[in-house]
Amino acid sequence: MRKKILVTVMSAMLACSMLGTCAMAGETEAEGTGLAAEGTLVVGFDAEYPPYGYMDDNGDYTGFDLDLAQAVCELEGWTMEAKPIDWDSKDMELNSGSIDCIWNGFTMNGREDDYTFSVPYVNNSQVIVTAEDSGIDSLAALEGKTVGVQADSAALALLSEGGEQADLAGTFGDLTQFADYNTAFAELMAGSLDAVAIDIGVAQYQINGREGYVILDEYLNAEQYAVGVKKGNTVLADIIDKDLAIMLENGSFEEIAAKYADMGIKADMLCLAESLGLDETEAENA
Amino acid sequence: MSFQVMMHELGEGMLKSMGIFSLTLLFALPLGLLVSFGRMSKNRLLKGVVWTYISIMRGTPLMLQLLAVYFGPFYLAGLKLGSNWRFTAIILAFSVNYAAYFAEIYRSGIESMPPGQYEAAQLLGYTKVSTFMRIIFPQVIKRILPAVTNEVITLIKDTSLAFSLAYAEMFTIAKQIAAKETSFMPFLAAAVFYYVFNALIAFLMERIEKAMAYYT
Repeated sequence: MRKKILVTVMSAMLACSMLGTCAMAGETEAEGTGLAAEGTLVVGFDAEYPPYGYMDDNGDYTGFDLDLAQAVCELEGWTMEAKPIDWDSKDMELNSGSIDCIWNGFTMNGREDDYTFSVPYVNNSQVIVTAEDSGIDSLAALEGKTVGVQADSAALALLSEGGEQADLAGTFGDLTQFADYNTAFAELMAGSLDAVAIDIGVAQYQINGREGYVILDEYLNAEQYAVGVKKGNTVLADIIDKDLAIMLENGSFEEIAAKYADMGIKADMLCLAESLGLDETEAENA
Repeated sequence: MSFQVMMHELGEGMLKSMGIFSLTLLFALPLGLLVSFGRMSKNRLLKGVVWTYISIMRGTPLMLQLLAVYFGPFYLAGLKLGSNWRFTAIILAFSVNYAAYFAEIYRSGIESMPPGQYEAAQLLGYTKVSTFMRIIFPQVIKRILPAVTNEVITLIKDTSLAFSLAYAEMFTIAKQIAAKETSFMPFLAAAVFYYVFNALIAFLMERIEKAMAYYT
């Protein structure tokens, strides 16, 4: 009997502490900012995704996208919390309010129904990277080859059934999913993959750090990066849009981009001016 | 990134892994004993409930359990998750999972005791509780130590699963540095961290085994 009571008490305690922690945290969303916790923007990102979000030489999280997020926080007087997440769990993290936005080279095309997006700020392309000596020089030459792609990535959506390049993927020998690009490039080096489908900015970063790889001239598609917030949270998306416009106007957007220019973010990839309805010259005059 | 910075970052990650490790042991070891009592209970209902619990804990991946515990309150009850819930959920999921394994180890030890000892203790006037506490349990601990060491060593390696809840423990840091450096060297360093820590644990457990090797 005593044991039974003990077990009951223990499980009751566990249940209480569980509910207690949640309930305490259960304050409603702050009015007017769309943030889960007032004054803090929790940015969810994949920290294995240089140059958009990664760990720098000092062990701090940095990257083009995190710098932009930081600039937004400075404009709004918020604190930024950079939260490296498991990319596969990003929807659960966002919907449950554990993070406020996904700001991490996040492709908006094809995801419009699942998130509310800011204005796009980078023109991205999905490209194919191969070893220089592989003899693969066009998309057609990928026939029968093993191609790697990151799980749950835009490139995978493109190559899967219903995607723009599903027909091309049909010619591949095999389409293999991997968790991170570091592993994929090791496989490419070891010869177990013939090619990797990857975002161009990341491809450029990876190739800079390694010898003997090329990006095919033929791209898989053209698409755009934007900041993703929880579906329906237009308040936060509008604030981010407004701040991006301010940063474009005062030149800080270009300044931040320039910092990452030799890490794969080329000036011609930036598209914030166009998506805000300004062309380059207008933006400079403003 | 310099070697010193890398070791420093990995060291900080290791502290986080050790945090999960020690809190899990703190809760799971006593909880496991309670669970093993339930498992051996004469009450059919309690026995059935505990049997089901152990079966689910052992039969589903720990990563899935982590996700269920953390996101469950939101998806099932619509509760907002606070920032301190993340770590609580990790410890809760790890403890409840490991308690199931420890319970079976305790049970194996307790059921291996010869019934003659209980009879002798009864003749000598020991109550049930003091029979267990003073005669049975000390011998049980001696017997189950090697099996417990196994689980404890597995636990430190399992802490890397906490990243499924965005908790940046040591192995996550190693992966991030590897991505930044486009190199596999950080993994080697991570392996050394795990190995050294586990070697210390194994050494410590061996010492405890020796210390308890009386009557032999």
